[in-house]
Amino acid sequence: MNDQTETRAAERPWLLVARREVVTRLTDKSFLIGTLITLVLVVGFIGWTIWSEDRTERVTVAATAADAATAQLLEREVPEVDDGLEVELVEVASDAAGVAALEDEDADVLLRATDDGWTLVGRKEVPGDLTAAAESIIGDAALTANAERAGTSPAELRQGGAVDTVLLEGDAERQDFAQGMGFLLAFLFYFAALGFGYTLSGSVVEEKANRIVEIITTKIPVRQLLIGKIAGNTLLALGQTALIVAVGLVGISFTEYSSFLSGISAGIGWFAVFFLVGFLFVACWWAVAGALASRAEDLQTTAAPLTFVMMGVFFGAFLFEGTVQTVASYVPPFSIVLMPIRVLNGDAAVGEPVAAIAILLAAMAATVVLAERIYRRALLQTQGRVTLKQAWAAAD
Amino acid sequence: MIETRGLTRRFGERTVVDDVSFDVPAGMLTGFVGGNGAGKTTTMRMIMGLLGLSAGEVLWQGRPIAAADRRRFGYMPEERGLYPKQRILDQLVYLGELSGLPAARARASATESLERFGLADRSGDRVEKLSLGNQQRVQIIAALLNQPQALILDEPFSGLDPTAVDSMVDLLREETGRGVPVLFSSHQLDLVERLCDRLVVLRAGEVVAQGGVEELRARGPERLRVVTDRDAGWIRDIAGVHVLDVDGAEALVELADQDERAADAVRRAILTAGLDRGEVRELATVRTPLSEIYREVTA
Repeated sequence: MNDQTETRAAERPWLLVARREVVTRLTDKSFLIGTLITLVLVVGFIGWTIWSEDRTERVTVAATAADAATAQLLEREVPEVDDGLEVELVEVASDAAGVAALEDEDADVLLRATDDGWTLVGRKEVPGDLTAAAESIIGDAALTANAERAGTSPAELRQGGAVDTVLLEGDAERQDFAQGMGFLLAFLFYFAALGFGYTLSGSVVEEKANRIVEIITTKIPVRQLLIGKIAGNTLLALGQTALIVAVGLVGISFTEYSSFLSGISAGIGWFAVFFLVGFLFVACWWAVAGALASRAEDLQTTAAPLTFVMMGVFFGAFLFEGTVQTVASYVPPFSIVLMPIRVLNGDAAVGEPVAAIAILLAAMAATVVLAERIYRRALLQTQGRVTLKQAWAAAD
Repeated sequence: MIETRGLTRRFGERTVVDDVSFDVPAGMLTGFVGGNGAGKTTTMRMIMGLLGLSAGEVLWQGRPIAAADRRRFGYMPEERGLYPKQRILDQLVYLGELSGLPAARARASATESLERFGLADRSGDRVEKLSLGNQQRVQIIAALLNQPQALILDEPFSGLDPTAVDSMVDLLREETGRGVPVLFSSHQLDLVERLCDRLVVLRAGEVVAQGGVEELRARGPERLRVVTDRDAGWIRDIAGVHVLDVDGAEALVELADQDERAADAVRRAILTAGLDRGEVRELATVRTPLSEIYREVTA
């Protein structure tokens, strides 16, 4: 009965633990449904963006016969100024009839001449796009007429008054896009860190509460168990987030923002690196939070500080600016999202993310050692909650 | 054989297990008894390496035990429970793999044991769907998967119905038959008495008695039951006898002197005195129930 296969220890037992974590989640219906819903939301949001981009809004403009010439001008010129807008003309007998048409919803806007120009009358609102287009078209027409009367041309009148903007790096729209992406990625990290973090600490408590951890740790070292659980959950978090980001990026490539994608690829790449190391870093603490609890109900208390830190990291991504942002982008766990955001925005020099990731790696290594000690000592305390201090001071 | 030598565990100021030394010989069932908080679970956890030792050592086959030895111990913790939501077979295969079995071997071994316990058709069910007795069966299967070289079982009989107790007993006998040392804790003294080859009694973290069940019984004064055909009150007058109870024609006495010769003399005196007064229908040595030994040593 003492043949070799039986006395040999399991090779790389953390892999067995990690595999169980992954398989358990992937066969869990609620996890699959949750992932599917998230993907549907992402696809739906992008689809809606594309649809609303292509959509042409039709505005019915009422005008009396006297004002018809200007109305016709709008009908002709508006689609050229704004390709998402079309004007349909409705002739009304009088201004009063026009107001009646507005009230009956036969028209969206009434165009009226005033002493020194024109008025657009709406029921509750005048579409903002129409106002801008009308201002530009009617203003140009008036300028041309006035210039001719004065014996000059609009070009001469405008001479020397042109203001152009030139950005040395990128353009404004691109910058907005990068910023939006940054917040989105910060949110994804928050979402994954909280969701998978809770799962991880929940599974640690489950093992503790069922005492199965006692069986497992007579077979494999506690460190292997800890590493396996962290590796499994990190893989899941990374996989789910990568799926969401990939679907999102493919979606974006069908929108007008597709041209910006090449500009943010470096940022996305760094985000992936920071996400991986950052998740490993926080996962250690989630495992500790689980080990400090004895029952699932204790988890809310033992995980509360972590939840606050995660929220801090998330809001830090929005609120930190200037020097604070620069400094925080080196400090774990803030650096996990702030440094990739700075790379996305083009604010970080090449060496900066490298330095920040080195600091994060060092912090992670220290955390693994600390977390293992606390985890090991708290794991067998099955009566009530254990404080960090108790777990730290306890003998093995 | 498992030996503990001076095993001591302190939690802060409290000494929970104090200088505990006992043997769990190969091929024997050793019962581990003691009240709540006597330190049984702590001792077992120290043997399994789950808790560090404040002092002392655990020996396996005469040398300090190593992690590799423990990996081939079967262990059943108190208040056991497996992963409630995982399927039974998957779970057993996982535990088998963790103890170093190749997946195929673990699967074959688990399937075989499930069949043996009549649980083969439940192998795809989640553990939480099983009755308590069946959960316990799965638990013992988990402990036996790897053909363990020793078994440490914390309260393996708690919560089992009499049939389940019997099949668990058969199973443990089979293991001791293979030469495996088995240590199990229990509150059920009648069961321990019926089952055990050896006994270790713990009180407040200290071993107060250990040895074979017969050996422990022999430690106390001999008890005699005397049945006559009339009132047995006369027995109080016989020297060297400590009367425990007289009930009409029946008496239960203890011999004050444990010396074999003196005991013989007292036995003869009782018989003679009884015959002088009438008939002596019974004069028998009474086996002291384990529960009484237990009460005495833990008192």
